Amino acid sequence: MLCERCGKKDATFYYHENVNGAEKTYSLCRDCADEMEKRGEFRKFGGLTSEFGKFESLFASDPFETMDSLFSGQDLFGNLYAPMKTRQLAQQSRAKRCPLCGMTLADFAKDGKAGCPTCYEIFAEELEPTIGRIHGKTMHGGQAPRKFRERKETAERIRALEAEKKEAIRIENYERAAEIRDELKNLRGNA
Amino acid sequence: MWYGTCGKENDTAVSTRVRLARNLSGYPFDGRLTEEQAKEIIGKVWAVFAGKDGWTFTDFASLPAVERASYAERHIVSPDFAKKSGPRALISNEERSVYIMVLEEDHIRVQAIAAGFDLSGTRQAVTEAAELLEEALDIAYSEKLGYLTHCPTNLGTGMRASVMLHLPAYTGAGGIRNLQSQLSKMGLTIRGMTGEGSAASGSLYQISNQITLGVTEDGVSAKLEDVITQIIAKERELRGRIRRESLDALSDRVMRGMGVMRYANSIGSAELLSLYSDLRLGTALHLLELPIEKLDEMLMRGMPNTICAEHEGTVSPADRDRVRAAVVREILDRVNTAE
Repeated sequence: MLCERCGKKDATFYYHENVNGAEKTYSLCRDCADEMEKRGEFRKFGGLTSEFGKFESLFASDPFETMDSLFSGQDLFGNLYAPMKTRQLAQQSRAKRCPLCGMTLADFAKDGKAGCPTCYEIFAEELEPTIGRIHGKTMHGGQAPRKFRERKETAERIRALEAEKKEAIRIENYERAAEIRDELKNLRGNA
Repeated sequence: MWYGTCGKENDTAVSTRVRLARNLSGYPFDGRLTEEQAKEIIGKVWAVFAGKDGWTFTDFASLPAVERASYAERHIVSPDFAKKSGPRALISNEERSVYIMVLEEDHIRVQAIAAGFDLSGTRQAVTEAAELLEEALDIAYSEKLGYLTHCPTNLGTGMRASVMLHLPAYTGAGGIRNLQSQLSKMGLTIRGMTGEGSAASGSLYQISNQITLGVTEDGVSAKLEDVITQIIAKERELRGRIRRESLDALSDRVMRGMGVMRYANSIGSAELLSLYSDLRLGTALHLLELPIEKLDEMLMRGMPNTICAEHEGTVSPADRDRVRAAVVREILDRVNTAE
């Protein structure tokens, strides 16, 4: 598993904290763990444990649920504004609001969850570092809905035909260009 | 129900679950939905399955609390889905063991559960149901982030696969901690079934994938398949050692456990879990002849809320313990009659 903080190196340190019953576990690489310790980001009464030192967290109830709570909370999402390059950009992000559900970045920082599917588009730039920390990657690699796959294939076919038509016209093969025009019309009609 | 049926590798694997998280475009996620929107979503999702063979609709919010909790105890819905408030529905196909939670954390969570170790079967079941949804509804998806989910931890495939293993020999040998650190490096996690210590947890563990973005469904399955196969092999090897080195002690414990199951008038839930674990190991090592899936059925039907839901008038813990003992005896009697 990759470090939750930098998303680059392998996580070899685990930090487990229990504050008034609220339990959190972080997986970190050595560099991030050192840095966070130096910066005092670990609570005083907590401490780093080596990779063999964490057993309590085994006994959570449901793997489909605890996964989510593992990553929520201020500690991981509180520095959402940090990746913003300038103060002006940070201010713009702060003022942004999702047009569909009204979520702000401050809302997201509270529970680490998006307000609606559109939020991922509106806050794409702001959420990317967080998403990278969680998964180690920021680009989908799995299956797509059939409708989406077909739309994509059609779009690609249209692009290819457009290029072919241009070439046909350039070499004055008007018969082929007309064929392509009809095929394009057909494809666009279906889409 | 998944329990009570004979699954693959069931000497070590209790059950396999796969779930896909899906959401509808144009609607806010849970917490920002109006009651009207929530009902609209439930209606749209049910419209996909209504009229299709084998699918049933349950207005989950209207069920009594014990019934809701019973579904969670038997891993058919998540504990959160049982506990939360507001409109929600369970759309199920018993025959295929597919259970669709509508308005859990995500708008739609398609889950399949099977006895034993069966990633391909459960994956196929959820994929088919998810495809029906995709054909009919506008499912939130982006090329970059995949299926869009309430929590970013589920982005991408939205797929979580989990196998519940019975690992008494692994636990006894003190190998679980080491296993946890190894799994974590591979993007997998291991968790106990209950919130208690290992002695009381029946040596039951759930191993699941953690990463959903930037991976393929097949890749995650193959990794899990490979790792689980290795863990099962190791557990069997360790059991072989127990058999060679301490057969008498184990055999005595197992037969005493059998005596309690056959004759006790009252069995507590922690006691049942510990008996279950001993007898499961004993059966796997052929110290007694018992269909292993019947033990899983005992454990599930012996869960506190499930007892209350299935036996009207069971209120106090003492009542429950008596009914639990009766359920255990009834299942054993059925096994004997079948023989």
